[in-house]
Amino acid sequence: MNAITSFFVRFAYYLEASETYHRAKEFCRTLLEYQHSKLKFYFDIFMVFLVVISVLFLLYEVKHPDGLIYLDDFIQFSLVIFVIEYLLRFWISSDSHKLFLERYEYAINNNLPFSLTRAILAILKKKLDYVISPLAIIDLLAILPSFRPLRFLRIFILFRIFKLFRYARSMKTFTAIITEKKFELFTLAIFASFVIFTGSSAIYIFETQQNPKINTLFDALYWAIVTMGTVGYGDIVPVTTEGMVVAMLLIIFGVATIAFLTSIIVSSFQSKLVELKESRTFADVDKLENYIVICGYGRVGEVVAKMLHEDGYKLVIIDNDENKIKLAQQRGLIGIVADASKSRILGELGVGKRASQIICATNSDELNVFITLTARSLSKKIIIIARVIKNTHKKKYFLAGANYAFSADETIGLMGAQYITQPISYAALDEMLTENTGVIFDILILHEHAYFANQPVEALNLSEKRLMLFGILRKEETPSFQFNPSSDFMLHHHDMLIIMGRKHHINSLRKLNDQGNMR
Amino acid sequence: MIEGKILLFGFNRSAIEIGARLKEQGFAFTYIDNDASLLPKAKKLGFDLVIADYSDDETLLSFGIGEDVTFVFTLFEEDVHNVFLTLSIRALDPHVDIVATTHTKDAIHKLQIAGASTILDPYQICGKRIYKLITQPEIMQVIDATIFGEADINMEQITITEHSALNGTLLSECYPTQNYNMLLIGLHDKELQKEFIFITEGHNHKLDQGDILVVIGKSAEIERFKMDFSL
Repeated sequence: MNAITSFFVRFAYYLEASETYHRAKEFCRTLLEYQHSKLKFYFDIFMVFLVVISVLFLLYEVKHPDGLIYLDDFIQFSLVIFVIEYLLRFWISSDSHKLFLERYEYAINNNLPFSLTRAILAILKKKLDYVISPLAIIDLLAILPSFRPLRFLRIFILFRIFKLFRYARSMKTFTAIITEKKFELFTLAIFASFVIFTGSSAIYIFETQQNPKINTLFDALYWAIVTMGTVGYGDIVPVTTEGMVVAMLLIIFGVATIAFLTSIIVSSFQSKLVELKESRTFADVDKLENYIVICGYGRVGEVVAKMLHEDGYKLVIIDNDENKIKLAQQRGLIGIVADASKSRILGELGVGKRASQIICATNSDELNVFITLTARSLSKKIIIIARVIKNTHKKKYFLAGANYAFSADETIGLMGAQYITQPISYAALDEMLTENTGVIFDILILHEHAYFANQPVEALNLSEKRLMLFGILRKEETPSFQFNPSSDFMLHHHDMLIIMGRKHHINSLRKLNDQGNMR
Repeated sequence: MIEGKILLFGFNRSAIEIGARLKEQGFAFTYIDNDASLLPKAKKLGFDLVIADYSDDETLLSFGIGEDVTFVFTLFEEDVHNVFLTLSIRALDPHVDIVATTHTKDAIHKLQIAGASTILDPYQICGKRIYKLITQPEIMQVIDATIFGEADINMEQITITEHSALNGTLLSECYPTQNYNMLLIGLHDKELQKEFIFITEGHNHKLDQGDILVVIGKSAEIERFKMDFSL
């Protein structure tokens, strides 16, 4: 290994180890690339502002060639910004040292000779790929005309307008459409240029002598395109019969070409539009924190979503039925048409990051278990609640990592049997579960400054307050639940009292508990 | 113990769950469905399944509706069947207890009109439970573990008998469950129309023969209570 190679290797390792370098690069990426970063959002607005002002200045200059002093300074300033931006984008487009090390380590590990030239060529190729990418070319064209020797390229300042593509997400769709339909558009372009070439050469051959307006091939080309585009200014008109035939044919081909072009772009737009809308919804989800993902918007999902939505919980609903999602969206919920069994979808929806709970409420056990498993693999902390369809599968849900799983049929079985033997206790159970009568279960937490802490249960004086203590949860003890504690049971800090009664009675008890220590 | 027959119309998962629990408690019951392909499954599970066309009134009468049938469950997946069956049975017998299940919100009202005594909505119940798990997970866990679960804490109803010491007492004067590890959730007062009143509503009830108390507690404690008050 010669000195130069060893220098490069050492330098690459140095970069790899340098925290400052990584942090700087990461910062630039947040600023320029990461779709959801706040920083990029402000930077984009700033750049749009620069672009618009510099183009306006160009327009101003048309009539006022002397310009304004401040504006000139401003243009210089914007140029500096654009150059810096260009260089930064060039820098972060790829990790050269990584590429270098990859090749180096590959060579070392496999006992192959390491070629410095080839590694550098690979790096350069990667960088070149970036330089010739459409957006990079636009960036470059937006900078070049500002240099004095290239003043004649001033019109290219208009290219700065194209730079706006970078800063607006929906603008990117246009670029995407064009790249996606590359093949169709290319075919069409070949056909169109063939027609134009034939048309313009025909008119040139037939009319150069007779028609005073057609003197050069350029005139013929201009006429052919104007005619083909169905614009037909009428400044140049064919005078010979042959020329008229050419014009007629050209018009027919022109209409066909334009219809073709329009249909390509429209159809591609339509398919893109759905995607665009979806990405909007994903962007909405990105703004949420601590939300609940509901997979399946069937009857169960609907009931849950409605109740949680009314309570102000943030929800994201996934279903593969478009109509159901439409229904959800009409109800003001965030809905996404997607197959929840695709693990990519759950990841994109932030399961594992910002979602706090996930509800598997589809009508298939296989799907529910699969979603449970996927969600658990994405996050250890997320709370998974699953609806079991067939009771025999319940165990699998817990194996897959669900926190809660239960089947409606089981509850139906219990309640149905209860109804036969004990109709009144069935009614009690029904009212306790549905809370239709206004009697609810609630939790009173004995926090740090709670009035009732270190007092016996007796002190709560619940029967006078028309409340009932169902039991006490004490998380640090096992069993954690103490059913119906006796009246001399001492309450501790952090105890959770499960109380039954009317809401306003519970609230007045809570108030007493909260302000108690002030006395 | 219940006298009279129990009929379960529709042989599906809910029906199997109900059947399993009824069997546990020693009740005799019959499944009725019109799909003969379910027979092997019923046999495997050890249940009696009669294949019959339940849309025919004669068939329903032959099962004893209007005579000795006291409970009917309509458990079909299709609400149409449930509503029609409920209506047919109610027309034949105005007194039989009909428990109907439903799968859509709109059908609840229709079943009520058709004459169902009580309506079980599995989706509603399921949805409500998920909702509770999210809003108040601790409470739901406790309820699941105690009332629904394995823990030896049950809900039971106790009818006041004529000879009981509780007959004729005022609830405010004696809190009967005080010395037992159980909770009096509420009661059914024969004199009042309402089916069930929570104890926390604060009415001062006079307990009479035929009133029903609903308690939660360990089975042993409930037994002790019943013995002490000769219930």
